[in-house]
Amino acid sequence: MPSPEGKPGQQKFGAKYKLIGKDYTTPDLYAKVTGKSKYAEDYRADGMLFCKLLLSPVPHGRVKHLDLSKALAMPGVKAILTQDDLPAPADSVTDLGVVIKANQQGEKALTMEPTYQGEPVLAVAAVDELTAAEAIEQINIQFEHLPFVVDPLDSLRPNGPNARTEGNVWVRQPAPPAKPGEKAPSPPPPQIGELKWTESDFAELKQGRLPMGKAQDEWSYGDVDAGLKNAALVLDETFVTPDSSHETLELRTTLAYWQNGKVFIHMGTQSTVQTLAGLGRWLNMDPNQIVLISEYTGGGFGSKATGYIFAIIPALLSKKANVPVMMRISREEEHFIGRARPGFQGRMKVGFSKDGKIAALDMFTICNNGPYDAVGDANASGRIVSLLYQPAAMRWRGVTVLTNTPPRGPQSAPGGMQGIVIMEPILAKAARQLSLDQVEIRKANAPQGKAPFGPEMDGKRGHCTSAFLKEAFDRGAEQFKWKERIARPKRSGTKVRGVGVSSSAFFAGSTGYDGLIVIRPDGRIAIQSGIGNLGTESISDVHRVVAEVLGVTWEKCDVIWGNTSQNLPWTCVSGGSQTTHAMTRAAHAVAMDAQKKLQEIAAKTYGGKPEQYEVANERVFRKGGGKSMTLAQAAQRAIQLGGIYDGHEAPEDVNKYTKASIAALAGQGLVAAAKDKYPHDGQTFSYVASFAEVEVDTETGMYDITDFLAVADVGTVIHPKALAGQVLGRSILGMGHAIGQKWVFDPQYGHTLSRRFYHTKPPTILDVPVNMQWAALDIPDPETPVGARGIGEPPVGGGCGAILNALSDALGDEIYRRAPVNLDTILTSLEAGRPMQDPLTAFI
Amino acid sequence: MGIIEWATSPLGQSVPIHIAWFLIWVALIAGMLFLVVHAIYIRYFAKEKEFVADASPKVAAQLPARIPRHSLAARLFHWIMAASMFVLLFTAFLPKVGVRFDWVTYHWIAGTVLTISIIFHIIHASFYLDFWSIWPDRADVEDAWKRFQRFRGESSALPRKFAKYPLENKLYHGAIIVTGMSVILTGVFMMSRVRTIFFPRNPYLFSDMTWGLMYVLHGLAGVGLITLVVVHVYFAIRPEKLPITASMIVGTMSREFYLKEHDPNRWVVEASPNVPRSMADGD
Amino acid sequence: MAVIRDIMPAFQLFQPSSIADAQKLLEQHGEDAWVMAGGLDSFDWLKDRIRKPKALVDLSGVEELRGVRTTADGIEIGAMTTLTEVVHHPVVKEKYGLLAQAAELVASPQIRNQGTLGGNVSQDARCWYYRAGWPCYRAGGNICYADTPVGRNREHAILHAERCVAVNPSDSAPALIALDAKFVIRTPKGERVVDAEDYFLGPDIDITQMNILQPGYLLTAIRIPSTWAGARFYFEKVRDRNVWDFPLLNVASAMMLSGDTIQNIRIAVNGAAARPLRLKAVEDSVRGKQRNAATGEMAGKLAVQGAVPLQFNAYKIPLMRNLVKRSISGVQEAAWAS
Repeated sequence: MPSPEGKPGQQKFGAKYKLIGKDYTTPDLYAKVTGKSKYAEDYRADGMLFCKLLLSPVPHGRVKHLDLSKALAMPGVKAILTQDDLPAPADSVTDLGVVIKANQQGEKALTMEPTYQGEPVLAVAAVDELTAAEAIEQINIQFEHLPFVVDPLDSLRPNGPNARTEGNVWVRQPAPPAKPGEKAPSPPPPQIGELKWTESDFAELKQGRLPMGKAQDEWSYGDVDAGLKNAALVLDETFVTPDSSHETLELRTTLAYWQNGKVFIHMGTQSTVQTLAGLGRWLNMDPNQIVLISEYTGGGFGSKATGYIFAIIPALLSKKANVPVMMRISREEEHFIGRARPGFQGRMKVGFSKDGKIAALDMFTICNNGPYDAVGDANASGRIVSLLYQPAAMRWRGVTVLTNTPPRGPQSAPGGMQGIVIMEPILAKAARQLSLDQVEIRKANAPQGKAPFGPEMDGKRGHCTSAFLKEAFDRGAEQFKWKERIARPKRSGTKVRGVGVSSSAFFAGSTGYDGLIVIRPDGRIAIQSGIGNLGTESISDVHRVVAEVLGVTWEKCDVIWGNTSQNLPWTCVSGGSQTTHAMTRAAHAVAMDAQKKLQEIAAKTYGGKPEQYEVANERVFRKGGGKSMTLAQAAQRAIQLGGIYDGHEAPEDVNKYTKASIAALAGQGLVAAAKDKYPHDGQTFSYVASFAEVEVDTETGMYDITDFLAVADVGTVIHPKALAGQVLGRSILGMGHAIGQKWVFDPQYGHTLSRRFYHTKPPTILDVPVNMQWAALDIPDPETPVGARGIGEPPVGGGCGAILNALSDALGDEIYRRAPVNLDTILTSLEAGRPMQDPLTAFI
Repeated sequence: MGIIEWATSPLGQSVPIHIAWFLIWVALIAGMLFLVVHAIYIRYFAKEKEFVADASPKVAAQLPARIPRHSLAARLFHWIMAASMFVLLFTAFLPKVGVRFDWVTYHWIAGTVLTISIIFHIIHASFYLDFWSIWPDRADVEDAWKRFQRFRGESSALPRKFAKYPLENKLYHGAIIVTGMSVILTGVFMMSRVRTIFFPRNPYLFSDMTWGLMYVLHGLAGVGLITLVVVHVYFAIRPEKLPITASMIVGTMSREFYLKEHDPNRWVVEASPNVPRSMADGD
Repeated sequence: MAVIRDIMPAFQLFQPSSIADAQKLLEQHGEDAWVMAGGLDSFDWLKDRIRKPKALVDLSGVEELRGVRTTADGIEIGAMTTLTEVVHHPVVKEKYGLLAQAAELVASPQIRNQGTLGGNVSQDARCWYYRAGWPCYRAGGNICYADTPVGRNREHAILHAERCVAVNPSDSAPALIALDAKFVIRTPKGERVVDAEDYFLGPDIDITQMNILQPGYLLTAIRIPSTWAGARFYFEKVRDRNVWDFPLLNVASAMMLSGDTIQNIRIAVNGAAARPLRLKAVEDSVRGKQRNAATGEMAGKLAVQGAVPLQFNAYKIPLMRNLVKRSISGVQEAAWAS
């Protein structure tokens, strides 16, 4: 058993709690470390077939000839699935009843007009994978070649190629006006349009600066031009951030079969409950007819927020062949279909006052989207920059360009990370030019309290729930011995060292979801968890709140998760770092509901008013002594009482999904269910102050990250070990973008060249600094009952930014103009005395 | 077994990449076979050459003892071309049959020499030599037909003697033009695929398919040249052709040989023995 | 016909238990046979379905091919000895530390546990165009996709490129060249022993092969003479990540000093060309000179003479210059107090 006290010297949390802020053994731990945990690929079903995918060899083309006869004639080949077998994309309805029209130009699971090399074209199901692979080699398929483009700037040029036949950008359509007395109609889905810049726009490119033509989206507040004009220092910098695969260790392997009209799907997904809607939309089926089994997920990082569209391939093949079908995905296939962070070509003009305050910030981003549905990175980048650096005036402009590269998706701090990575080297350079301390300049611009962010909406800017980033910097500077480190000599022998610090933040919470628990007649508490088990431990962490509030030991609690046939409550998407915040609220709400029901049951049983009873130590008892009952007895009594007590009646305000689960659980004990309706003023974010030291060998350009510290402002700490995993792990995810992770394409053929781990180079454990520390402020957020905010994504930007800043501290500002920064960049720039990298070409 | 090697291009298309290398042996054997068949034919079946009488003794008497046939420039061209051709063939095909050495540099340098020499030859032959002397004319065809009829034992008038070049020689030259120009034109483009001193490497001048066909043409013409060169060398060393071969070295042939094989009306040689006019052409 | 890069094709698997059996199998199957050592290179080719041998001869059961033996004149390392065994072998560590250093920097611990010394020196190029199954020169085609105006060639050759610009990715090879190792090869005509540097081929000589092994050949052992035992060694590998990465460049040197004078030296680099390069000119130029910074600088400059950068690998020129310099005059280590 891990010691609840943690390692010696480790920060202690949860002084006023029994369970919150303490380490514990999570319910999935033993299965994970002993290999008993079953991921989708570990399942087998009777008569199961295997399927293999035929991937497009062309970056953009149309199938002009397809002959399946030889493959179908092979013994062991059972079915082939093509685009023609897919259901039409279905509209979806939000929680609030708003219909979202299906995007007919969006991504399909299989396509006859592939728009990137590696896109699945068809799938073959056979008795084994060897037969399926050999069958694919017997398929005669020929493509008509269509124009393609991998670099957004090439597509924006006058007469540049378009990734899609219809154009190179998505154009949002306004909703038609509402008729009087009727609900506002939903806007039509976005359409693909064309955006081209002029030759004169591109003149900037020759100077190594990002051309800034017509933007698709823009917002601003304050007087940016005046701010820049009056600034003591104006920096105008262009920067390129890398495209990076999510590289989840569990591939998108899926098993599917049909029983009694229901489809059972085993897959890895970040969210359990929320994945059903996606599957229902892709299969054009009622989500009630889908059972999702996903007890363990080997990483998501945003790429499996609500599953993935390719899961329907084995489901439909299974329907066609009438036997279970397993689709195993290879690492190379995962590269194509497994999503990635979009790279940015960005430019910022930032005006500083003499004391380092940002007077004005003008930001322009080009986001490389891949061929399908638009990612929100561009817009998020502007919002996060506006929050984190609090410029007095700011303009953000963005273009999201379609390219014939694998589809992007949200990756840990989508957009926020890219915004931070473009901004941080500028801030570091400004501090050097203004002779200011790096920590101080960040503190001077840091958000505090209910700090504003983003554009004005209805004449007012939004604000955050709370921010204690300055405190994080103070704590970090002390723990990292910042002052001592900057005073030390920098150069010795061929080595130069440098220290860097970075601000970091991201969205960290949503509201309004449901909690559902059953106090069983044996006294145990079944906690129904609709959260996905994506490795963050939020799946059980948030429910510690239930035990804490009810005063029961954790050992009495059973967390039920990972299977949608097990009556789960309406739960948030495990993405956007919202789970800890959203679901501790729901857990708090349901615990309060249970407490209230226990008090009522006691009052009904022993007389008196419910308020005269108290719940603690696994009993309900009269305050000040007297009658009491165990939770087991209360559960038995709840079943006798029925109605709202045992789930035969459900609260009005919970989601209909929760209501169905309550109905199914009815009679099993005391059923408590509640929706999170706690007040919430502002948008929830979490913050990280990141510190790093690097040591560079100037003769080879190789460098080591020798020290790293991340101090998190995440509100109340729920589970220190899991928090450590997130703060450090996601910092490493960010470091990957600084030290080597990237995509490379061959522009002639539009093919991915970096297909394998040894090409994409995600960071390894030996790239991680030996001395890697974390700390948390543990200051509760005032806008949520438990005080906890999310942490998954906020550390990422800082993980990258601190390394980049440490490098420029060591080597100067004239080394890099893009990330990652590798030894080739360092060595050639040191040789030449100026940045030597091609400043703007994508994918080099 | 096809005569073309195919590969799958990055875009999934089946594209030719080069000829099948067994064609090297096919070409070599074809050349040898020709040699054997021809040698047997000459030894056992060929009849004595007969021609209509032509030049009057008067004309013959005016001829110099040595008839000028190939100018120095023409001879130099021939031997430079021959040398580069041998280098090209050996550097091209020896590595394919297992003799490993650094062949590409020699190959492109020899190719460059060949190309320059051919350009020289085209200009030289077009403007300074009797351009038409190497091209078959009506008389060649008529005489060939006569010879063919006589070979079959049919009655036919005697053919005339040859002009400067016999028909076979002219046809050979034609075959060399076709194969030579094929390897040269494709070869010049192929130089953009390797590092040379001429232009930056750019293998994307044409589509994969066009390049593939170009390599196949280069290869087919190349192995064709193996056969042609074997045949050429064979004729050069045949005893009855030695005077012609010698003339490619010294530039002249004896009056006797000239009068025996050539028609002074069709190959007019200046009478003055002192100042032989350059009338040569190269093959 | 469509292409799929997953699932090993079917083949006949042979698992001989002696060198003689292995050789017999190789002779029997000739060009249809594939020799597999640790499998780290082989499985890539097979699973990608780019190579489809009819017969796979797995050497993992041939005990004679394993282990490090001391001989009258040095040591003999069986070709199937794992890199981990090489790294930890006391004699290798003590006398031929250069090899131990090099082997320890190969890939990752897991790969070193499985990968063999014979496999490491015999591995194929890692050019990502070649490995994608594109019909390039090395694959028997007629083009180099890396050396084009738009080719992505950051990891490619700066020296001795001849149509193909791939590099040899072995870390142990330059160390073995510097130690003057001999490679023992069984051929159908009997045993052949070649100098380490002669084991490797450049594209000028054979564009489709990286070494001299022919069908029916088997690399059985690597002999390291005692000539350089205990000499002053230097090995450095430069890569993007600290583990599980092929070298961008590496350098190995063995030096004998008399006082500060370089009496004798052997230097080799890899990652610069399609074969590991022994730098004879550099060796000749520093022999008899003082081992100091000036000698190192001079050697570094000499080493990169004639280097031709591609669009994205110009950094390899100063890198090689610096590595060669360091391999002679050493590194000026940092002396931080903390």
